[in-house]
Parts: sequence; structure tokens; C-alpha cells
Amino acid sequence: MNTGEHIILSAGEKTRRRIFGLVGRSFLFAVTSVAALAVLAIIFFIARDALPFFHEKGVAAFFFSKAWYPAQSPPQFGAAAIFAGSLLVTAAAVVLVVPPGVCAALCMSDILPFNVRQVLKPVIEMLAAIPSVAYGFFALVVLAPLLQNAGGRVLSVAWWVLALPMLALGSVVAADLLSSQRLSETSYRLVRGLLTFLFLALSLVLIVQTGNRLGALQISSGVNALNAAIILGVMALPTIVSVSEDALQAAGRELREGSYALGATRAETLVKVVVPAAISGIFSAILLGVMRALGETMVVWMASGNAAQIPKPWYNLLQPVRTLTATIAGDMGEADQMTGSAHYHVLFAMGLSLLIFSFFCNLAGEWIVARQRKRLRGG
Amino acid sequence: MRKLLLVAGLVGGCAMAQAQDKLVLDGSTTVGPIAKAFAEYTMRQSPGVNITVSESGSGNGAKALLNGTCDIANLSRHLKDTERKAMEEKGVKPVSHVVAYDALPVIVHPSNKVKGLTIEQIRDIYTGKITNWKDVGGLDQSIVVISRDTNSGTFETFKELVLGKEAKICEGAEYAGSNGAVRQRVQMTNGAIGYAGLGFVDHSVKALEINGIAPCTTTVVDKTYPISRELFMFTNGEPKADSLVAKFIAISRTEKGREIVEEIGFVPVSEKK
Amino acid sequence: MRITTRKLLDRAFTLCAYFAVALMTLFLLFVLLPIFGKGAGAYLFTGTVEHRRMLLDQFNRGDAEQFSAEWADVQQARRPIYAAVAAFEKELPGLPAARRKELKASYKEIRVGLGVLLGSEPGKPLPALTRGLYGQTRWDRAQEKVSNILYEETWDYSGGAGKRVLVPRQPLFEGTALAPIFPLLQNNLRDLLHPRFTFYPGFLIDKSIDAHFFGGIGAEVMGTLYLALGAMLIAVPLGIIAAIYFQEYATEGAVLSFLRSCVNTLAGVPSVVFGLFGLAFFINTLHVSPGKSVLAGALTLALLVLPTVIRSSEEAIAAVPRAYKEGALALGAGQWHTILTVILPAALPGILTGTVISMGRAAGETAPIIFTAAVSVGRMIQPSELLTQPTPTLSWNLYNICTEHQAVEEIRHVQYGMAATLVVIVLVLNLTAILLRARVARNLKG
Repeated sequence: MNTGEHIILSAGEKTRRRIFGLVGRSFLFAVTSVAALAVLAIIFFIARDALPFFHEKGVAAFFFSKAWYPAQSPPQFGAAAIFAGSLLVTAAAVVLVVPPGVCAALCMSDILPFNVRQVLKPVIEMLAAIPSVAYGFFALVVLAPLLQNAGGRVLSVAWWVLALPMLALGSVVAADLLSSQRLSETSYRLVRGLLTFLFLALSLVLIVQTGNRLGALQISSGVNALNAAIILGVMALPTIVSVSEDALQAAGRELREGSYALGATRAETLVKVVVPAAISGIFSAILLGVMRALGETMVVWMASGNAAQIPKPWYNLLQPVRTLTATIAGDMGEADQMTGSAHYHVLFAMGLSLLIFSFFCNLAGEWIVARQRKRLRGG
Repeated sequence: MRKLLLVAGLVGGCAMAQAQDKLVLDGSTTVGPIAKAFAEYTMRQSPGVNITVSESGSGNGAKALLNGTCDIANLSRHLKDTERKAMEEKGVKPVSHVVAYDALPVIVHPSNKVKGLTIEQIRDIYTGKITNWKDVGGLDQSIVVISRDTNSGTFETFKELVLGKEAKICEGAEYAGSNGAVRQRVQMTNGAIGYAGLGFVDHSVKALEINGIAPCTTTVVDKTYPISRELFMFTNGEPKADSLVAKFIAISRTEKGREIVEEIGFVPVSEKK
Repeated sequence: MRITTRKLLDRAFTLCAYFAVALMTLFLLFVLLPIFGKGAGAYLFTGTVEHRRMLLDQFNRGDAEQFSAEWADVQQARRPIYAAVAAFEKELPGLPAARRKELKASYKEIRVGLGVLLGSEPGKPLPALTRGLYGQTRWDRAQEKVSNILYEETWDYSGGAGKRVLVPRQPLFEGTALAPIFPLLQNNLRDLLHPRFTFYPGFLIDKSIDAHFFGGIGAEVMGTLYLALGAMLIAVPLGIIAAIYFQEYATEGAVLSFLRSCVNTLAGVPSVVFGLFGLAFFINTLHVSPGKSVLAGALTLALLVLPTVIRSSEEAIAAVPRAYKEGALALGAGQWHTILTVILPAALPGILTGTVISMGRAAGETAPIIFTAAVSVGRMIQPSELLTQPTPTLSWNLYNICTEHQAVEEIRHVQYGMAATLVVIVLVLNLTAILLRARVARNLKG
């Protein structure tokens, strides 16, 4: 039993506690703002070293000229091809990986049993945790020789595996769609059968032709945009899958149950009801994947070939390209900042471009989330 | 009291550890293997010494010497005028020491039947005028052009001796970050052409004859091979007689040092000072 | 659409979804299996007597007596080879000039090949580089090197693209003193090298000898650990304090949403931009160290992982049931006292989870430390040097030895070993975090 301790505070106690509280709060606020202001410091320091370049050389040449010759005298800093390289590799990675990623998310949220899902989530986290230099090592030592020596065959096998089922299915569906008219039973069946056969034959011809053309491809260099795009896709995949899955889960059981009650199949429910409901979450996921792929350095430095060119034609992924991140990492050596050379500043200009782009992606993501929240609230 | 003694002991120990000799090298990836081998040799002779070697390119080595962040800069080229001027302004006096001689073999994949090229042909390949091996006597195969990054002394030498000041490397040329990377790319790619220091040429790639002369020790020493160069270590001012820096650089002139350089694959300097 | 078609589409969709998941796991296996498979080969392999000799000489590891007995056997087996070489040396000047010219180049390659295979010849002066002191330490490499001696590699350009042709050297040296070494090398290689299954745990802690030709990756492992620990030492206090502020003290308003936006933006900054910032700010402006150092690298990495630490700490604090906090406040504890004694301990497992995941991220990142902390060769860093010296690290040196190294093919096993070690460290950290999280979920539910 306590003897004589005051439970009610004296006036002095009260002020002391209030002062401590205030000091404590300010301290917490100061520390938090350090953490938060770091990003402002980053923008400041990158911009500070990037702007001299724009003052000296102007903006147009940097963004629109393809002539990247920093060691020439006079040096030329046209980074258009490098921007194109970054965009090409990122876009290719996203295109390669978003369909299977969203399908995998759908599978995990609606098709797989709970236990399997609990096991799969750590698997995805492990994929996400593998360091980028290990991916780059893999791309250089395993994937590049594979692409170079057997690239055509690998591509043609991939084409067969993907195209055959899809085109076969497509033929059946197309034939069905085109023949649902009010015909007599037998002629309906006949028309449908003929159309199916016709479409299947056409698809087969297309597949075999493309397959042969792919198989005959000779990839002259195993380090190219395709190599980088594949690995970047694999790196972005876990992010896309887990964020999409969260969004799909958040769409709610009532939506699904209502659709099933109306007689829709599971596929129709998922594709026509659930995915549109979760579409903003899926967009966020894709955006995060894009940010991850764009900001990746080691993989592209090791496996994209580092050729400052826009491939001819622009979608030819089998040629080497150069990205912004690889240029910054690779060229930083020459940067003699003491003499304030334009080469040093142009690398910071590239860093600034990356920073601004990621900043806008962040804003877009936050806007999507805010809009979704408003919609759910009933706005 | 005991705690105080403990802390004093720790601080003293740390101070003593700090007072050990250390040497920082930075620069060329060509000179890198030589620097690393010398470093290991020195660290084995004197275990208390700590030598670190970075290989971020000749340009970065010069910058590090300028900023005082390294003791020795490895360069595979001469200092540029801009670098010299900047050093003058900062009061840094660069002194060059030749540690080895190097040829710049132009390498291709061993399965390439082309045996040799002229300097003009190499120039045309690198500037994009010739794009297929069949135009220079090889098979019908597109040429994969591999060059060095622009922070490379090897690149500067190649540009000076082969391309000329005005020529621009073709758009589709791949860039590799080091001699080793060039060698690896050429070794993996049938249609590739590249250039790397003599110490990086081995059985996995084939060195071409330039104007009929093959690169090897003899043709470098008597300067018949058209693309040869010196490999430098730069210091800030002449190193003091008994300092670690002086001893390190002097290794290249001792018999052991010359053996090391030879075993790595470059051409050692002669014995005389 | 007819019902059968719809059902068909449904089945096809299900298959497609399963296929996507299978593709994902397949990719994971495709990437990890080679790395782990060949990476294990850096620790478990068939090692030769040269490996044991190297360990004894360089690291003082192994039974000296047992080794000298074995070494005597090996020397005995090798004697005929060296005797043949010595005899051939005497014979060579006496041969007719044409024959001599024919044999000289091939003989030189054989000499070099023998040195590479068996190490420096006893009784001859030691080579300058350490890599020349010992022969092949791995049996698989030894078998490749033997074929360099037994066969000459030439290229046949007659059919267009060059084809590799291995021409046996034995017929060329028929009748000379060198002839007996060929059948010896072909058939008795085991006696010359005594291959034995070797477990080399020292790979993890030994320093590298002669640019990774021998030895292990100890310096790199220590560098990675120091950098990751340093980054967490800086980021975790900052992150927890920021999380406490966000959850407990801040009031909704413009300032709060601004701060939150800042943290979100920080999470999206590309890693190479962190590296640029570290160089421009910590090294060139603040001069925290006279050049690259572990301190500068740790600061940069701390900034990189800070948003993750803040986010996971916030989630952990938010997940603590309100009842705890309200109970403590009802008993008269002040807000700060409540946080310190009730909320933080309850949130600790969650905070720890986020910390461990971030540590894994910091250990694996390369781009932020290229300009701030990493070197390609250096002695294992001592704790007293952490504030001023750079260090080799697993992530940067993996890049270095698989692209820039002078003899990339010779040290493939080291590259795989480094990659496997790095991936194992990161995966172990992540697995720990996952298990922690499962335990936290269980505790909070029950």
C-alpha cells in the first residue's frame, strides 16, 4: 500500500510534464521530418547537379537527339536513344508479365484452395527478395548463352505453347459466335462445324508459319532488350501478383456471389465482374511493377548490351539497347566533377528524369487509390 | 576506474590500428590485374599494410588523384589536357610512372575465319561502314561491334590510334565496362569484334593480325605492332624515397615485379631506371 | 453463346490461371536451381591434393603430418613426368633445326599446361603470382586442363564457320624423351592429384588469394554484413520514431499528409539515384569520410530501406489492440510511458519482421554502394576502419568478378558460390521474417 504519494499532481508537476510532452513531441516531429525531408534533399541535390547541364547544353538536344558521344570533342549528349531503351525494356517487361501476373493473382484469390495459397505467398515473397545482382548474374551467365545458341528454338517453342491453345480456343468461340443464328438444328451444326474447321486450319497455318520463322531466327547477341525484358518482368512479377491479389480480395464476396447467382460461370464472373471492380488496384499493381522495372540497374547493366541505339524496327527486341540506369552506373567513373564537366552533369540530368518520372508514377498511384476510396465511400 | 582503462585501451588500440600503412589505388581496368597482384605481393611481405584497389576506369582514377581520394592512379592512357589543367589549378603535380607495356589486340571469336585486318578496315567496322563479316573475308554474318565505355583509357587509346579524332563509333556498338567484359562478350558471341589489353587475351578469343603483324611481346617491344601503349601509375608529385608509394611503384622494376607483369600477360618494363 | 462453349471457356480460363501460377514457380526454379546447384559446388566439390596444399600453406588448416605423407606419394607419382621434361630439355638443343622448330611452340604450351595443372615444379624458382604456385584445386577443372596438355586446340576453317578440332600432341612427340608423359597424364591423373570429396566451409570466411583464384569470399561476406547492420542501426531508430509519431501523435492535416507523401515518394526512388545522392551529399558535401567508406554506404542504404521500416512499424503499431493502450491510460500512465512500456513491446515482433526484411534488401542492393562503399580488392575490413575505409561486398564483387575479372572462366565456381551465398543470406532473412509474421498473427489472434 503506498503511503502518502500524491495521485493529484501539483501545479509544478503539471507544467513540468507539459514541457516534457512538448519537447518530446517536437523531438519526434523533428526526427520524422528528417526521415521525410530526405526525399526533398534528394531532389535538391540531384537537381542542383543536373541543372548546370541544361543551362549549358539546353533541353532539346538532350531529349530529342540520338547522338550520344560524350567522349568526342566536342561532346554530344543526345540521350533520346537511351530514353527509348529504358522505355522499350520496361514496356516489354510489363507486356510480357502483366497477363500471366494477373491470371496468377486471379488463380490465387479465387481458384486455389486456402492452404495452397498460404504456401504460395511466401514463394512470391522469395521471388521478390532475390537480389538484383543475382538476377543479373543469371541473365549474363545462363540466359544470354541460351538465347544466343538456341534463341530461335526457345522462341518458337514458347510461341507454340502459347498460340496453339489460344488460337484453337479462339477458333471454337469465333465459330460459335458467328453461327448463333436462327437456323435449323442440322444446318446450324453444319455451319458451326465448317467454321470451326476453317478457323482451326487457318490458325494452324499461322502457327506453323510463325513457328518456323521464329525457329530460323539467328540471334546475333545474347545480351539484348529481350533478355533484359524477361528478367525485369520476372523481377516485377511478385509485386504485380501480390498487389493485384490484394485488390481482387478486396472486391468482396457479395459481388462474386451475386454473379454466380445469376448463372455466370466462374470465368465470366472473374473476367466480367471481379476484375473490373478491382481494376484500380490492378492498375496500381502495374504501376508499381513499372516503377520497379524502370529503376532497375544491375540487370540492365549486365544483360542489355549497352548500345545507345533505337532498334530498327523499334519493336525488335533482339538488338542491344541502353537504359538510363545502366548509363548512370557505367559512366559515373569519367565524371570529373571538379572540372564540372558536362558529362558529370548529364548523368545527374538522367537521374533527375528518373526521379521525376517515379514521382509522377507515385502521384498517379495515389490518385487511383484516392479515387477508389471515394467511390467505395459512395461519392 | 576499470571502465576508464578499458575505454582508453580500446581507443588506443583503434588509434594504433588507424596508424597502420594504407594505400589506395583507383583507375584503369587494364592496369587493375597488375595493381591487384602488386597489392597482394606487398600485403604478403608486410602484413600490416592495407591496400585497396578500385577499377572504375582511367578517367575516374585521374579524378581520384585530383581530389586526393587515392594515392596512386592507374591509367592506361596519358592525362588529358583538361585533366592536367584541373590538376594544375588544384596544385596537384601528376608524375607518371610506366609499369608495363601493352598492345591492344583486336579480338574476335576463334571460329571466325578472318585472320587479320588493316587499320582502315577496323576503322570502317567500328564506324559502321562495314557491317557484315563477308565484306572482309569472313562468313555471311553480321558484325557485333563491342567497344569500351567512355571512361576507359583503353577506349581513348583505341580512338587515338585507330579511329582518329573525328570518327564516331556506330550506333549499334555494344559497350562493355571493362577489358574482362569485352573478352567475355567476344568469347560468347560468334560474330563479335572487340579490343582488350594483351593480358586479357587467351585461348578463348583470337587476336587478329593488324597490317600483317600479330600482337605479342616481341612486336610490342620493337614497336612493329601498330597499336601499342604504355600502362601508367600516376602519383601526386614524386613519391618520397622510402615511402610505401615509392616502394609499390618500384616493384614494377624489380625482377619479381617484372615476372608478375609477364605472368599476367603484359610486357614488363626494362630493368634500368 | 451456347452453354457448352461457355463451360469450355471456363475450363480454359481455369487452366490458364493454373498455368500462370506454374509459370511463376517454374521461373523461380529456373533462376534458383542453377545458382544453388553450382553454388553448392563452391563448398562441396572433388578437391585435389593441390587444394589441401594450398589450405595448409595459406591458411594453416589441415593435418600437416597426414598431408606430408600424401604429398610424398604424389611427388613420387609425378617424378617420371618431371624427369621426362628434364630429359627432353637436354635433348632439345641436339635435335635437327627443323624438328626443333616443330616441337618448340607445342613444348612451351605443354610446360605452361603442366604448371597450370600441377603447380610449380619442385626445385625450380617459384613463380611470382600466387596462382602459379598451386595446380588445379578442383578435379573437374583439372580434367579440362589435362586436355589442354594432351590436345592442341586448332580451328578448321575449311567448311566456312570455324570448327574446333583437338589434335593430339602425342604423335608429334613420338620418339622423344617427352613421349611417356602423355599416357601418364591420360591414365594416371588420379595418382598425380589424389582427388577426394572435399567439404570447404572455409569458403565463407577465408579471404581471397590472388584475385579469387584460391581462398574464399570472407572479406565480401563481412563487408555485406557490416553494411546491412550499419544501415539497420541508422534506419531502425529513425523508422520507429517516425512510425510512433505518425500513429500516436500526429493530427490529421496538411502537414501529416505531406510527410506521408514524402515517405511514399522516398519508397519509389530508383536505387541508382540513391547512389548518386550518396555520392553528391554524404561524400562530396558532408564529407563524412575522405572517400568511399562503409559509413557512407550504410547511410545511403539506410535511406533506401527507411520507408519499408516506417511502413512495417506503422502497421505493427496500428495492429496493437486499442484495449492495451486504453487500459494503460486508464491506469494513469502518460502517453509516452504507455508507448514505451505497452505498445512498443506488443508491436516488437511486427517491427522486427519489417527490420529483417529491410536488412535482406540492404544486403542485396548494389547500385547505392557502387559510388559510396564498394571496392574490388581489399583486405577484410576491421571494425576500427568502418568509418573511413571502403570494403568489398557480395553484391558489388559478384558483378565485378563475373564481368571485369581477368580469368572469368577459371573462377566460375567462385561466382556461383558468391551468388548462392548472397541469395541464401537474403532468403534466410526473409524466411525468418515470414515465420515471425506467422507467430505474430497467431499471438494477436489468440
